[in-house]
Amino acid sequence: MKPIEFKNQASQRVYNDYMNRCKRVIKILSDSDQQECLMEVNSYIYEYVNNHQHEEELTALLNIIERLGAPEVTLKEVVASKKINQAVRTFNLKHLIQALSLNLRNGIAYIILFIMTLTLLCFPVVIIMEILNPVKTGLWVGKGHFVFGQVLPQAGVNEVLGNFFIPVVIVLGILLYLLIIFLLKLVKSKKS
Amino acid sequence: MKNEFIKNWDTQLKKGLLPFFVLKALEAKECYGYELIQTLKDTFGIDITESTIYPLLVRLMKENLLVHKWVEQTSGIPRKYYFISAEGKANLAEMKQTIEEVIIKIKGQ
Repeated sequence: MKPIEFKNQASQRVYNDYMNRCKRVIKILSDSDQQECLMEVNSYIYEYVNNHQHEEELTALLNIIERLGAPEVTLKEVVASKKINQAVRTFNLKHLIQALSLNLRNGIAYIILFIMTLTLLCFPVVIIMEILNPVKTGLWVGKGHFVFGQVLPQAGVNEVLGNFFIPVVIVLGILLYLLIIFLLKLVKSKKS
Repeated sequence: MKNEFIKNWDTQLKKGLLPFFVLKALEAKECYGYELIQTLKDTFGIDITESTIYPLLVRLMKENLLVHKWVEQTSGIPRKYYFISAEGKANLAEMKQTIEEVIIKIKGQ
């Protein structure tokens, strides 16, 4: 992106500061999305200042910055929307968590998906528990119990997966992850 | 002189109709952000800021109602031109119909 060059040094500093604020807000996006956002903000600033040459440069710049608003507010929806695209495109867990947390206020579907993702994060914990304490960890069934994790040994409650526990947890984790991505794609297409 | 209630109602009404006006403006001619703001002001008397139009354009893009193209300029600062998509045109037609129905009801009172 080509930065705008101002005649006035103060204008340049104000512009640089605003663009740096924008960069901070969008830094969780992919490089191409960041570039697109910055180019668009840059274009709004350039066109406004260029069309208000009857005003002082700094005044015009301050006016357009006021019209654009705080990047933290104006770019919030843009970032949330682009992050969802990135999450479904890359299948990256980090992007998925970021996308869902940014969209929590956009509907109950995102809250449910976020809870499902938090559940998914428990799966590696269960695997570590199984490695550290295999006697107490597993899928426990019996006497009104159906526990996936750790229980205190009780009569009539048995662990049913044995050595298959870790492979089953891994497979379930992968399936849950694919389900979350599928549902996210579905929610995204339903919303549009 | 409009009272406070009417002023608020007027603002809300225009806010609600804003996606319609944006699609209508872009149906007539593709625009870049700043140009679109001027078109909305000149054609529909709607004065909106960049902080309103930018997220709205992103939303309309997300809903496949608009498409965009970056066009290089001699200044070196490219413009992002927005175009209405086929889906956008279909939605605009439905919106027009809804507005016409409302107008008919209002006139019928």
